[in-house]
Amino acid sequence: MAAVEVPIEPVRRSRGSGRGALGILFAPVTLLIVLFLAPMVIMASMSLLKFPPNTASGTTLDHYREVLTNPLNLKIAWTTLWIGTTAMVIMLAISIPLAYYMVFRAGRWELFLLLSLVLADELAPVVKVYAWQVILGRNGIVNWFIPGPPKSWLLFSPFAVIVTLSASYITYTTIPIYAAMKAIDGSMFESAIDLGAGWWVQARRILIPLAAPGIFIALILVYIPMLTDFVTADIVGGTGSYMMGQRVRDLILGAGDWGAGSALNLVLLVLSVIFSLVAYWLGRLNRIQT
Amino acid sequence: MSANETAPEPRDRAGEILIEAVTKRFDDVTAVDDVSIAVPGGEFFSMLGPSGCGKTTTLRMIAGFETPDEGRILLQGADVTNIPPAKRNVNMVFQAYGLFPHMTVAENIAFGPKIKKLGRGEIATRLSDVIKTVRLDGLEDRRPNQLSGGQQQRVALARALVNQPAALLLDEPLGALDLKLRKEMQLELKELQQRTGTTFVYVTHDQEEAMTMSDRIAVMNGGVVEQLATPRELYQRPATAFVAGFIGTSNLIRLRVDRREDAMLAMELGDGERILAVDPGGADLGEHATITVRPEWIKLANGAADDRACYVGGTVIDVVYLGSITQLIVVLRTGERLTVHRLNDEVGAIDPRPGEPVMLRWAADHSYIVGSAASTPFPEA
Repeated sequence: MAAVEVPIEPVRRSRGSGRGALGILFAPVTLLIVLFLAPMVIMASMSLLKFPPNTASGTTLDHYREVLTNPLNLKIAWTTLWIGTTAMVIMLAISIPLAYYMVFRAGRWELFLLLSLVLADELAPVVKVYAWQVILGRNGIVNWFIPGPPKSWLLFSPFAVIVTLSASYITYTTIPIYAAMKAIDGSMFESAIDLGAGWWVQARRILIPLAAPGIFIALILVYIPMLTDFVTADIVGGTGSYMMGQRVRDLILGAGDWGAGSALNLVLLVLSVIFSLVAYWLGRLNRIQT
Repeated sequence: MSANETAPEPRDRAGEILIEAVTKRFDDVTAVDDVSIAVPGGEFFSMLGPSGCGKTTTLRMIAGFETPDEGRILLQGADVTNIPPAKRNVNMVFQAYGLFPHMTVAENIAFGPKIKKLGRGEIATRLSDVIKTVRLDGLEDRRPNQLSGGQQQRVALARALVNQPAALLLDEPLGALDLKLRKEMQLELKELQQRTGTTFVYVTHDQEEAMTMSDRIAVMNGGVVEQLATPRELYQRPATAFVAGFIGTSNLIRLRVDRREDAMLAMELGDGERILAVDPGGADLGEHATITVRPEWIKLANGAADDRACYVGGTVIDVVYLGSITQLIVVLRTGERLTVHRLNDEVGAIDPRPGEPVMLRWAADHSYIVGSAASTPFPEA
């Protein structure tokens, strides 16, 4: 098809530019060290501090043992995983058809939809989450429409957290998928129809495999922040939706246990990196076969 | 392909397509206007015309991607007007091919048979047959982006042919290829069509392409069929000024009917000079008409021509040597310009020079009325 082959030019290095290049790179490298690497190192060293965290307490690896074995942490991890995954599934179920609609069907409404998604994300997160409190509350909009006594499980529940997370991150799942679908030649669907494919075969064998790189980017973009999001669960969540982000915040800001909090955070970071690498690798495969 | 082997006795209507008084409008625009075409089975049929003439819309109606507003479409005798594309026994080859980039050549080709839930063995047989037919042997495991343009084209053909359609619909399938490859593929397509015996309906704006491959051509313009005929008829006896201009180079000359005799119309220009045309009947004296004559039919005259020939003087204004022919532009006494082609079949033949007066002659039965003079003359192609 219209695969454009871009010849890769060998990177030519002009003689004597070594010092110049170093000079140019000096500023960004310094920034990277100061703003990215240094906090990591500080967090890593803090994760080894005994409680109470001060220089006199000495160091220990107990926090890591605690993170990986404490049943409470495992329970919170499980809650975070199922809430995050459910939200993710809901978001994909909305984003994939929405992106398809925007790219292939919306016509002149495409830009409007795109801008709406971006603008929806520009709202301050806290405002958005409180808005859901209004929508889902005992005297909220949803209960006003549902006949019968107010449904109390709508708010301060895992349900509320899932709905609010899905709504908060939908921009970040839709736009990468939209971008991936933009590269799909629409005539492919016509040739699939011509060969007898119904909408489900078109979606499963053509649309989703070709949008896969965008879907994997969406997974990375959304799963990782959901691991550490505590605002949502704080405002619309209840006891049944205590998540990892809240746990880290409570350890550090509540209990003042910087050691345990940092250790938990680092474990989450490592998990995120592993998850990203897997998603990246899957995205490179660019193909789901049956 | 195995169509010839597996199909039982070909019935009368196998591969036949009938388009009956079909009209299709998009908002205010009538894309196809009361078109009727009958394509017998096994024919290489082309729809030829400029963009926007309705040829692609007609093809898409045969495929089922558009529904006619009026009229009906019959495929092998059955009315398919309102049947969705997936349920019609025709397959389309798209201009952009629409190959699935994430699938191999074999997976692309097997896509249709798999959806139709054919048996594994049947799919394998058809796959290997069709791959041989389109000469893709050894490329089964490649992805489309690892293939050349011509090979991608073949995959698109194979992916359609493997379904053993009653007719194959091709929408400018060679448009994306360079000239040399296009010429090769034209011959290959023609040969493929003859070998498989499948009805081909081919849409193109390239008259040479249509002439090279087709058994018959429908020349379309403004949503109507201007003429439906064999390539030879289209060239030699264009029915309208549009067809005359669209197929090859043609001269359009205004003719005033001064005399009618022996099934000829004549315009007298004095001094024995005259322009003649075949009398289609119905023309009145004094009326105007447009005639067409091909550049290669016009000769330079040495002496007076016989009575049955057109004979007219003019001045050469341009001489272009084109290798096998020399093209002369001659301004007639009437002010009209004619293009004349002289075949260079002798080394040392001397062409007239610009400014030189010449006498032209051509056989009267080579000039045809293509429309009354009132109709808009076709712009010089």
